[in-house]
Amino acid sequence: MRRALSLLIGLLAGVPIAARADTLSFPVLVPLTGFLSLEGTSQRNGAVLALKQTPAGITVASEVVDTGTSPEAAVTALERAAGSGTVGAVAASMLGTQMLAMLPLAQELKLPLVTVSGTASITEQGNPWVFRFFPGDAVTKSAHARYVVEELGKRRPAVIYQTTAYGQSGKTHLDAAFKALGVTPVFEEGVDPAAKDLLPVLTKALAAGPDVLVLHLHSGPTALLLRQAASSGVTLPIVAGSAMHQPSTAALLEPSELKGVCAETAASPVSGGSAEMQAFTDSYRAAFGKEPDAFALGQYDGMTMVLEAVKAGARSPDAIRKALSAEAFQGLAMTYKSDGKGNMAHSAVIVCYDGTSRVPKLAKRYDDPTLAAQ
Amino acid sequence: MCVAGALALLVYALTTASPYGLRVLTVAGVYALATFGFQIVFGLGGALSLAQGAFFGLGAYVTGILGSRYGLGFEATFPLSLLVPVVVAAPVGLAVLRLESHYFALATLGIAQVLHLLAVNVPELTGGANGLAGVPGVVLFGWAVPRGLPMAALVWGLVALGGLAGWRLTRGRLGRSLTTLRDDPLAAATLGLDVGRLRLTAFAVSALFAGAAGALAVHTQRVVSPEVLEFPVMVSILTIAVVGGRGRMAGAVLGAVLLLHLPEWFRFLERGYLVVYGAALLLTVVLAPDGLTGLLDRAAVRLFGPRPRRLPDPREPPRPPTPAEGLTVAGLEKSFGGVRAVDGVSLALRPGGITGLIGPNGSGKTTVINLLSGLEQPDSGRVRLGGRDVTGAPADRLARAGLARSFQAAALPGGTSVLEAVAAARLALDPDAATAEAHALWALERLGVGELAGRSCDGLPAALRRRVELARSLVRRPAVLLLDEPAAGLTDGEKAELATLLRALAREGMAILLVEHDMGFLLPLAGRVVCLDRGRTLYDGPPDGVRRDPAVAAAYLGTVPPAERPA
Repeated sequence: MRRALSLLIGLLAGVPIAARADTLSFPVLVPLTGFLSLEGTSQRNGAVLALKQTPAGITVASEVVDTGTSPEAAVTALERAAGSGTVGAVAASMLGTQMLAMLPLAQELKLPLVTVSGTASITEQGNPWVFRFFPGDAVTKSAHARYVVEELGKRRPAVIYQTTAYGQSGKTHLDAAFKALGVTPVFEEGVDPAAKDLLPVLTKALAAGPDVLVLHLHSGPTALLLRQAASSGVTLPIVAGSAMHQPSTAALLEPSELKGVCAETAASPVSGGSAEMQAFTDSYRAAFGKEPDAFALGQYDGMTMVLEAVKAGARSPDAIRKALSAEAFQGLAMTYKSDGKGNMAHSAVIVCYDGTSRVPKLAKRYDDPTLAAQ
Repeated sequence: MCVAGALALLVYALTTASPYGLRVLTVAGVYALATFGFQIVFGLGGALSLAQGAFFGLGAYVTGILGSRYGLGFEATFPLSLLVPVVVAAPVGLAVLRLESHYFALATLGIAQVLHLLAVNVPELTGGANGLAGVPGVVLFGWAVPRGLPMAALVWGLVALGGLAGWRLTRGRLGRSLTTLRDDPLAAATLGLDVGRLRLTAFAVSALFAGAAGALAVHTQRVVSPEVLEFPVMVSILTIAVVGGRGRMAGAVLGAVLLLHLPEWFRFLERGYLVVYGAALLLTVVLAPDGLTGLLDRAAVRLFGPRPRRLPDPREPPRPPTPAEGLTVAGLEKSFGGVRAVDGVSLALRPGGITGLIGPNGSGKTTVINLLSGLEQPDSGRVRLGGRDVTGAPADRLARAGLARSFQAAALPGGTSVLEAVAAARLALDPDAATAEAHALWALERLGVGELAGRSCDGLPAALRRRVELARSLVRRPAVLLLDEPAAGLTDGEKAELATLLRALAREGMAILLVEHDMGFLLPLAGRVVCLDRGRTLYDGPPDGVRRDPAVAAAYLGTVPPAERPA
């Protein structure tokens, strides 16, 4: 009986392994399974690539933990990470509901969360421990709407969005951005991410007489809707959400199906732009055998800024938080600087496909303070 | 064994567990609580309710909305999180509980879908797809319960209370009734158990446990979002119940602790942990098809031998007053499609009388018994029991009105003891399970099989099964007893004993209808015989007239009476 008790207690206690005392730990807690696994994997890869740049004199440890898609799993992962040595900062899930769940615990544990979640509300909780290295919906959706109205000259958008946190947040900000531009969408409808046929919603949208289709969908639904639009002979311009800039989304479509399609995003590493960006893309391909996207780049930039702070002498979570809060950082995608709430990214770009390849070209860049004025 | 397990958890929590370990343990407690309810509706009642996750989510949202939007404390939010799922479960249960098996499962799955849609699409109340952040922690009488050990202690304290309540319920009248219902709903109804009410009660109780678990889940993660209403929560609860051991409260705890810790042990494999987790689950189900508690039970029996069960003192059940009238039937008709199975049958079963019902196979005898016992509804005709019109009454109402029946194939539940099987027949009559068992032992002893009380119904020889089933009928002290071929498979000696018993029961005032093919057994016993052929009454009269009736002889006996033989 005593042996059985010891065995049971040992089994229950059998995790996790603590890091060495002189090691700074940067756990990567991201969704690797579930509906956000593609984006979560990009996030993981970006963080892992950044953490290979170990500052001299510092031993960096990092454990990757799958948070799935439930808030509960994310909080458990954070608690687990907090127990494994001295944590400098956490690369935290891009899923908004998981971030919202982790925030109170991060504040209690005093751990900076570095994320690429676009959910607006994560930086509206008054929590000083969150840092978002991806433009929030206020930025990207403003760019999205402005490109539609100012560059394409369209004033009758049909908006199709997802019935998830990502979708609802984006739709709210699109509404506000179009309103600021004096435009009212002629059609708005949410679709479930599990929908296997988007022709009904597409047909309804076209029946409303739009002059442009504005999408704010996850990766799979974006590809499905574009394929169905192409096969239905839709010739309207389509400006999609950030999922469309992802190489993994483009890979689901033929180049001809992408002709005239644009997307908003924070950055498009595969589109190039600088030698440093090309070097990042090459390293990413070599390490993971995949094309990087804006999520990977945002997380890479975020963790690189964290490591820069460590290089500059920050050895505690609070010191890293202070550095992230106060300093500006020139990343590969843009210059990052906190707005006081943890929003570090204030630029967005529009990329467009020309129908000959799956690599989009930069069409328009929107930088702060232009957007801040919106 | 349960005590050892609880002790291990306590020692672990107090001495070894890190904050992370305590958190996993806390979440395991939350899921154990939700699974207690599922064990009742699914494990005991046999109804695969896929709404348990939805009720979990509903409890979570009640706490989330009231806590974060209205600032209500635990004292208010927790009871309401229990109450609201029950209030929702009651009308929903009335609508869906009449559905059977997979239709019921699909309907309950629909509940979760509807609630999920509401959570996503009513953002002004629920926060929409983002959910509601800032749910306060538990504050008990002004004390904010910190995370870690205090929160784990609170959750596991409630798990202990819930587990104890569930365990008592399992062993009590409700639990036994649900098990009887799960094993054979038709037999349960004929034993007087109100199937609809039992299922609704189980459904409501399951919602109560789920609501409590959902409320605690929100307090542990401080945010509520539509994920709590999604299918993975339901799958987790179902898996915990199956792996732990269906219908067992200890199984819910064991399953929850194992299933919540298992993925954590393999986290170092990144996403590969799911493969190992799945393989471990598969292995568990293969090695322990009746769950881990079943496996432990078998191991305990192998190590220490079977634990002898203390039998109650037999007690004669009270005999209800014999009604002046037995059962009368007039013009009974029943068709199945184009086949008229019963066509204008009339008969009267008088108190103290034994009536034989005979006829060739397919003549409608069993259909008559099914109609009289409420398992089938007549197309027309009247049935009166004890002077009251009971035409079309459901089986459980007829049973409670004093009618009992047996089945052609003795319908004894597998995996239960003889005593429990017979006691099930008293659950609708007695105040508690212990009284029912005392009465059951009296019935078994009266039939001369008291020594079988502790044995399992599985593997009983046919003759003994018939006796046990007869005890199930007898123990209810019915006014009217319908027996479907009770002598089939009995030896001559056993038939003689059965005949003696039936005569004694008739002398006590019972009205007995006996369907039987063995004329040597039936004719000396019956005071009256009714012969059916193709649903119609061919003969209704004294037993000594049966063999002389040419129509009966031609249709059933296969012999022609001497008076009609050609010279």
